[in-house]
Amino acid sequence: MLGVIAQLVARRLLVAIPILFVVSALLFCVLRKLPVDPAAMSLPTTATIAEVEAKRHEMGLDRPLPQQYVIWLTDALHGDFGRSIQFGRDAGSLVAGTLPATIELAGAAMVLAAIFGLGGGLLLFHLRGTFLETVTDFASILLLSIPEFLWGLILLFVFGVVLQVLPFTGAVSPNLPQPHVTGFLLLDALWVGRPDVFASALRHLILPAFALGLAFSPAMMRVLRSSLFDVYHEDYIQQARLRGLSERQVLLRHALKNAALPTLTLAGVQFGILFSGTLLVEVIYSYPGMGNLMVDAVRNADLPLIQAIGLTYCIAVLLINTVVDSLYLVLNPKLRVR
Amino acid sequence: MVGSLLRALRSPRVLLAVVMVAVIAICAAFAGFLAPHDPAEQNLLSILTPPAWQPGGDQNFPLGTDSLGRDVLSRLIYGARTAMLVAVFASLGAMIIGAILAHIAGYFGGVVDWIIGRLVDVWMSFPPVIFSLILMVGLGVGLDRVILAIVLVDWTRFCRVLRSEVLIVRRHDYVAAARLLGFTHWQTIVREVLPATLPLLITLFSLEMAIAVVVEAILSFIGLGVGPNQAAWGQMIADARQYVYQSPWNLLLPIFAIFFAVAAFNLLGDGLRRTLDVRLAETGH
Repeated sequence: MLGVIAQLVARRLLVAIPILFVVSALLFCVLRKLPVDPAAMSLPTTATIAEVEAKRHEMGLDRPLPQQYVIWLTDALHGDFGRSIQFGRDAGSLVAGTLPATIELAGAAMVLAAIFGLGGGLLLFHLRGTFLETVTDFASILLLSIPEFLWGLILLFVFGVVLQVLPFTGAVSPNLPQPHVTGFLLLDALWVGRPDVFASALRHLILPAFALGLAFSPAMMRVLRSSLFDVYHEDYIQQARLRGLSERQVLLRHALKNAALPTLTLAGVQFGILFSGTLLVEVIYSYPGMGNLMVDAVRNADLPLIQAIGLTYCIAVLLINTVVDSLYLVLNPKLRVR
Repeated sequence: MVGSLLRALRSPRVLLAVVMVAVIAICAAFAGFLAPHDPAEQNLLSILTPPAWQPGGDQNFPLGTDSLGRDVLSRLIYGARTAMLVAVFASLGAMIIGAILAHIAGYFGGVVDWIIGRLVDVWMSFPPVIFSLILMVGLGVGLDRVILAIVLVDWTRFCRVLRSEVLIVRRHDYVAAARLLGFTHWQTIVREVLPATLPLLITLFSLEMAIAVVVEAILSFIGLGVGPNQAAWGQMIADARQYVYQSPWNLLLPIFAIFFAVAAFNLLGDGLRRTLDVRLAETGH
């Protein structure tokens, strides 16, 4: 069975890799076509036209676009994403320095979104047929109308400003040291044996992770509920009841397993969007992740950095989709028969 | 079609949504009459005044002023105009491009379908927030640029969903009959396929309006939206964030405005989906 699954995952990756190449080429072309001259930007404003031309030649900007792309791609495959104009540092290492924080935030948010989505979906389904159904259904659409960046601001206002119970800037209290081992702050804090840093980092993670988790769960709730509805029309549910199973057993052992599949498909798409949704939440909470770096780069038209970060987001989305699709194959035996 | 649209109005939820959309639309259309002040007018003598019902409030500024002494109510009303313009035109543009490609792909199938399908795949692997940010770097700020960016990012939402609908519709006998009667491909698509996909199209349009409002707010919040000369809810939030301790209302009011607009379009979309989608109505959800 493992062999079959590995084969299917490999097939899925084979689709993802060409897409990645096309995406990187598109990203490259779009950024090169922008009315921004990276050569002029990396020189002081007093540079003469001749100096800018020399720099353009040095940077390879006077060559045809496909050739430029091949050079960039070769460098990128060797781990060299060019130099950030604004920071004067290697763009790849800037991304690598901020990516772990974003992954930590996105990971925590995905767990929360899954918990809320599952719990909310079961609750919505449980209330079917009662007068509360209309109320909760209505409420779920209202919840659907609060995007992550509004949740970020609302939670910041309620828990940070009014109640003052949780911190809302940065990833850790400024007076605490930030250990650097893997780059994942929570892991590193434990690694160097600083429970105080760990606790502080965890408290800083709560509001941004909840903002994202709350924003991405309503869609999952609604899909889970409607697929539970579909599953309950099936004969095997009636069969399970006739065997004397309680409603709870029918729901959890039989219906949920089958209703989970459409929800999982949606979760794959949702988690991909969630990963890029970290950008806004990071900006709101001044969280030192890739999103803040991206906004910095965009404001300063720092093309090499935008390119490196944009590509990293795309890879992350493709990776998340591939993982969820593979999970789908693992959970759905019907798709394994070929 | 018109009949079922009228039937949709009987549901209290759709009625509520229509009223909410009407409120925003009226604010947007008659901003000049409704707003007590010019949204850009600065009253440096009364900055950060609280709403009129609070101690220190000024009747002249019903919802208070911001850090430059601009009237918050007027900015909210003009912000509705910005949001509605973006929502309507961006959704229209995305719908037209998405629907045309979806009908071509679904109707003709084969190589064309494959190419459009892969195009959608590539497009979808760009996270929407990142994609629109990159586009705004190139396009620069401005209302028309925001609309263009949303159209370029979001046409895939229409294309993907509609394509599968077209695939179903085109297998119906009446489509084949139209071809046998001598209809050209173009006539068949416009007269036979399009009317069948229209309910879905309208629903998607309403949901896309909600998305466009959010994207415009996000871009304006980051400072890459409609530009500093135009009142926008996202911009109001970005300004108010620095003064959240002095005047929390400046932050809360635009947040509520965005929520109100997004909820209106989502409720409308959900209500239309329930009443227009025949298959859904049959299964009783």
